[in-house]
Amino acid sequence: MNILNTFHLYVRSMGMLLKSHLQYPASFIMQTLAQLVMEGGEMLAVILVVDRFETLMHWTGGNLFFFFGLMSVSFYITEFFGRGVTGNFPSMVRTGQLDTLLLRPRAVLTQVLCSGTDPRRITCIAVGVAALIVGSNMSDVTWSVPKVLALVESILMSGMLILGLFLIEGIFCIHSVKSVELVNAITYGGRSACQYPIDIYPRPLKILFTVVAPFALTMHVPAAYILGKPLYGWPVWTVFVTPLSGAVVFTVMTLLFNRGIKFYRSTGS
Amino acid sequence: MRAYLSVFRMRLKMELQYRGAMLGGIICQMFFGIVLVALYNALYESKAQVMPIEQVSTYVWLQQAFFRMMVATDQDLYDKVKTGNISYDLCRPVNMYWFYYTRIAAQKLMGSLMRGIPMLIVAFLLPKGWGLTLPHSIPGLLSGLAALFFGLLCMCALENITMAFSMRTLDPRGMASLLSLLMVTFSGNLLPLTLFPDSWQKVITLTPYAQLLDAPIRLYSGEYPVSDLPVILLRQAVWAVILILLGIWFWKKNQKKMIIQGG
Repeated sequence: MNILNTFHLYVRSMGMLLKSHLQYPASFIMQTLAQLVMEGGEMLAVILVVDRFETLMHWTGGNLFFFFGLMSVSFYITEFFGRGVTGNFPSMVRTGQLDTLLLRPRAVLTQVLCSGTDPRRITCIAVGVAALIVGSNMSDVTWSVPKVLALVESILMSGMLILGLFLIEGIFCIHSVKSVELVNAITYGGRSACQYPIDIYPRPLKILFTVVAPFALTMHVPAAYILGKPLYGWPVWTVFVTPLSGAVVFTVMTLLFNRGIKFYRSTGS
Repeated sequence: MRAYLSVFRMRLKMELQYRGAMLGGIICQMFFGIVLVALYNALYESKAQVMPIEQVSTYVWLQQAFFRMMVATDQDLYDKVKTGNISYDLCRPVNMYWFYYTRIAAQKLMGSLMRGIPMLIVAFLLPKGWGLTLPHSIPGLLSGLAALFFGLLCMCALENITMAFSMRTLDPRGMASLLSLLMVTFSGNLLPLTLFPDSWQKVITLTPYAQLLDAPIRLYSGEYPVSDLPVILLRQAVWAVILILLGIWFWKKNQKKMIIQGG
């Protein structure tokens, strides 16, 4: 009941935030277009890389588009629905706005999640979907039920992983007030790095993105299976188990976040 | 003139204050550099190109080191437009365009030197094929620096054009991010311009965006011979003049019908 109620609250908040974003249509359209150009630029970079190099080790051009699409879709869906965590939180701490959340009879994290959305990301998601379709066509993927399930699980779990990683920034922020740019290395850096398959990178980066920020487990293992080139030759069951690491990271970070909130000292007056 | 010089000096000192943010910025930028260099190394293993990998890595590191020069913006001005405090600036006995041009120049110069020099030293120590190589020749280095100076002039002019858009609307994020994205893509930050298709390069190297960092880097690595320097500097200077004139025109127009916010 409580969960249903919370979910209802979240949907209501999203609805209101969407309405408020649409109050300035010209600005909204402009920014949405800017997002399209941005993601288009990233896509252009991959296209140009494929045009010049053709393959990346044993990955074909189509495979690379698929990896790129999977990252874009997961990352921007997370930003779309989790903007409260991925964007607003540091300023909430800095301005003391977080105080009001502490007074309300809901979990802080729920309220933070309800506090922001970023509908401009819709165009980024569209570019990602296009890349996924082109990639799967070029790689001659024959879709089956397990493959579709693997893709859905991968996107969901990657989303939780990304939220979890942004929570690290939030936790640091509670302690230091200032937002810690350094954490961007792992979130945005992870996005840049892991839009290409993990096995092309040297060992330290492999370890970082498998153990610390397991993008490789939530994205590359399922994607490689879908493309018919299992990562490191791992068996099929790993495809459905390893992405759960995303949920693990999210859970751990949520616990740490709730602990961190206890140490929160308001900056407001 | 003296007024502008002191503004320049003040902003240099001001930028020096933020050393904590600097360290975070350096580590972040280094990380991005390492990821890119690792990617290009893997790509070269699949299919080597005419341009040696050392040159690509050098390109990536120089781009990362001077990234700040490209993206630094004057947050104060932005806030002033939003709050209406811009009215104080209209009272100053200086030309507003050049006042902010000097400010942003100092900010970009100091910000990128503070971050760039430590980064380049670390990048230089990385193994062959991964790190920064020495310049092609001493004249190459010197002409690269000269081109970087002209590149900075272009960057500040571009920045002021972006700012001109912010003065028009209260929510300039759309236009501002559109312009900065064009810059990141066509200046060679996202993908070295040298790796763009060869047929595109003839056109792309003529755009203002290629004058910012691409031209200096190619002089540094010897891809442009030093004998080309006059042509390159001329191209940069022409762009700088065009962009500055465009900016001045735009700012004048804005100043005439500026709406002061606040109450």
